[in-house]
Amino acid sequence: MTKKLLTQIKNEWLSNLWLALELLVVSVVMWYVVDYLYTRAATYLEPRGFNIEHCYLIELGELTPKSPDYTPDKSRDDTHADIAELVERLRRRPEVEAVSLSQNSYPYNGSNSSGEVRYDTLQSPGWTIRRMVTPDFVRVFRYQGTRGETPEQLAEMLERGEFLASDNLYRKYDRKLTEFVGKRFQLFGDTTKTYQLGASLQNVRYHDYDQAHSSFCFLAKQSFYYVGLELCVRVREGQDNNFITKLKEDSESQFRIGNLFISEIRSFHDIRRNFQQAWTNNIRNYVMGMGFLLLNIFLGLLGTFWFRTQQRRSEIALHKAHGATDRAIFSRLLSEGLLLLAVVTPIALVVDWNLAHMELNSWRNDTTLEWDRLLFCAGISFVLMALMIAIGIGIPARKAMKVQPAEALHDE
Amino acid sequence: MIKQYFTQAWAQLRQQPIISAVSIAGTALAIFLIMLVVMMQQVKVAPFAPESNRDRFLHAHYMSITNQNWGGGSSNGPMSAKTARECFQILKTPEAVTIYTCMVISTPVNLPGQPSIGIDLLQTDDIFWRVFDFSFIGGKPYDKATFDAGLPVAVITESVAKKLFQSTDVEGREFLLNHAPYKVIGVVKDVSTLATTAYGQVWVPYTSTEITKDTWSDEHMGMMSCTILARDRDDFDAIREEAERRRQEYNVLIGADGYELIYRNRPYDQEKSAIAFAANLEPDVDQARRQRLIIFVILLIVPAINLSSMTQSRLRQRVAEIGVRRAFGSTRLELMGQIIAENLVVTLMAGVLGLLLSVAFAYLGNTLLFAQEFSQTLSPPAVNTSILLHASTFGWALLFCFILNLLSSGIPAWRASRVGIVNALGGRLH
Repeated sequence: MTKKLLTQIKNEWLSNLWLALELLVVSVVMWYVVDYLYTRAATYLEPRGFNIEHCYLIELGELTPKSPDYTPDKSRDDTHADIAELVERLRRRPEVEAVSLSQNSYPYNGSNSSGEVRYDTLQSPGWTIRRMVTPDFVRVFRYQGTRGETPEQLAEMLERGEFLASDNLYRKYDRKLTEFVGKRFQLFGDTTKTYQLGASLQNVRYHDYDQAHSSFCFLAKQSFYYVGLELCVRVREGQDNNFITKLKEDSESQFRIGNLFISEIRSFHDIRRNFQQAWTNNIRNYVMGMGFLLLNIFLGLLGTFWFRTQQRRSEIALHKAHGATDRAIFSRLLSEGLLLLAVVTPIALVVDWNLAHMELNSWRNDTTLEWDRLLFCAGISFVLMALMIAIGIGIPARKAMKVQPAEALHDE
Repeated sequence: MIKQYFTQAWAQLRQQPIISAVSIAGTALAIFLIMLVVMMQQVKVAPFAPESNRDRFLHAHYMSITNQNWGGGSSNGPMSAKTARECFQILKTPEAVTIYTCMVISTPVNLPGQPSIGIDLLQTDDIFWRVFDFSFIGGKPYDKATFDAGLPVAVITESVAKKLFQSTDVEGREFLLNHAPYKVIGVVKDVSTLATTAYGQVWVPYTSTEITKDTWSDEHMGMMSCTILARDRDDFDAIREEAERRRQEYNVLIGADGYELIYRNRPYDQEKSAIAFAANLEPDVDQARRQRLIIFVILLIVPAINLSSMTQSRLRQRVAEIGVRRAFGSTRLELMGQIIAENLVVTLMAGVLGLLLSVAFAYLGNTLLFAQEFSQTLSPPAVNTSILLHASTFGWALLFCFILNLLSSGIPAWRASRVGIVNALGGRLH
């Protein structure tokens, strides 16, 4: 049976060559796309190390001398006190669970500051994000310690003046930060002072498409308040319907303190969407590309096999006359397409491997070539293509099934 | 002759309805997707109001600064108004240089005693209105005197005017912006967020607020960006050279305190600026172009193979006809030309279909297709004909149709023209 099929494929080698060539090109491109989507999805699904559900960012504004309500001669200390009062008023709202102030710290934030965490000769990587925060920051975004410390416990540590850092900070030395808890470190490049590590944090990712193992950060307490700080709140579960509208309604009467006012409130869902648009757009492009390739295979096989079944009408009729069932005819045509795919797949695999070896595909876990990933993604693209082939051939094959031998062989 | 191409192409299409449908669908799909890619790029670089001068823009949105005492560290981001003035506005070669805030900031506006709404505020100088061509439906932009005096005046869009005052004829009326009274001096048509530099909903002189005091690194860095309007694209090199000379002069000046400005080859033209996301990274335009090229190649090659196979099948049925033509003296070249031309009729038909589909899709799926990266606004990217369709759009569509046609019918036509007359008359293609 297989031999007969191969002979038949050989006899139609020219049009099969076109098909095989198409399947080969598409196999490689499909693998590339699937590989991209797989790495993105796998990274996306890693634990984030923080939680933004029910979280909001409140932006503060400050009156200028142009405003009739402006109070002149406010000192820095006055502003600090005004902000502290505003935070306190927010905290007293029944729906609010936690309120924090921070500097370049909230998740999905394009601005960042970096700093060094040094223990003896051990140094954190250059891209270690410094998060200066008030203790409640870890309660707003629900950071977790590696030894099961709750956000509340972490907040107490910050309050005591201890600092927190992600567990992967000394990854290049192959050491987990957890073993350093309680030790004293030098921070901010300042050699005159040391800070105690309160807890090691479960890795906090920079954003959803950045892997946990390459996002480094540490947190220390911010004690002085000024208008440029970020004000973040967590609303109690189930109570954030219309939080923004309600707070805006009250902002004139309750949150005008000194020269301060609330200028904008955004949910972290919106902030995340805006920040990650670049990645979302890329994924959109790849998904569209994938759809395009699959549609092309479908059209290509539909066209070619439509033609073939027409030409082979009498042959199919002959098969039927010799006792072939409808199913046999159908599966014979289908096998022809699938066999072509099977023939090009090893070649495609070699090309895939070479592309991965040349580091032209997506990066994950600091590499482009992982055997399990390569085979898994090639497998997925094989299955998707096989599906399209089945549909593409299925339509003409169903028609061929219905050939009436007597009629088709009439001329013979 | 040309008429014959049409008749023949039409006859063939009708003879094999399924194959024809598949061919047309394949071609239309390819052109559809290619044109979407073209449009996604065009909204970033092709000129449309109020950024009609995109061809002549050079942007310095961000820069970097370092200090001898920072141990190799740098601060990267927007600059202070002073730096922008001293380093860019001072340049002689450009036609104009405008300074504005590095991004829109959502800001509350209201009428006294009424609840506020959030609008996207951009703070600019007066030159801004010369560099960008807004369409005013009432009033006028603020001039140099108003800007220098820091008067609280604002240009607002039609929709903000309607939301605030329920009217668009509002020149001279007052409203509160950040709780400070401002006077409407002009009303402009709404601007799409796709006009990334000019976009805003309310524009005010940056001298009317305290934004210029928001600085760091000893007032060298701040919240400002600038855009240079060249007299001509040919001046770009001269402007960059002058900017670089000025940077060196300025570095000597601020070098007294150990500072040094780093440009990373800024100012960038529109194409480069469109892919520049980080202040401390220079974008690679060549790489972006290469990527687009690869995308076009894949979008052309895959359907071309498909269509080749179908053209081949179609030609198989016409071998006898080819034999007759050859026997009556048609040359191989003529024959090839005829097959390609016939095919072109089909390709162009499908191409028009694909282009129409892509325009329709661009209109309906604008939030999906043109969603902007790293933007500050929550407004969706509005599109209209002037943004989506340019003469070049049709040019590209036509070009890609030609390429696709050549790719998909070239080899089958070449093969068909090689068939021996006797074989062809006998109905054999090999």
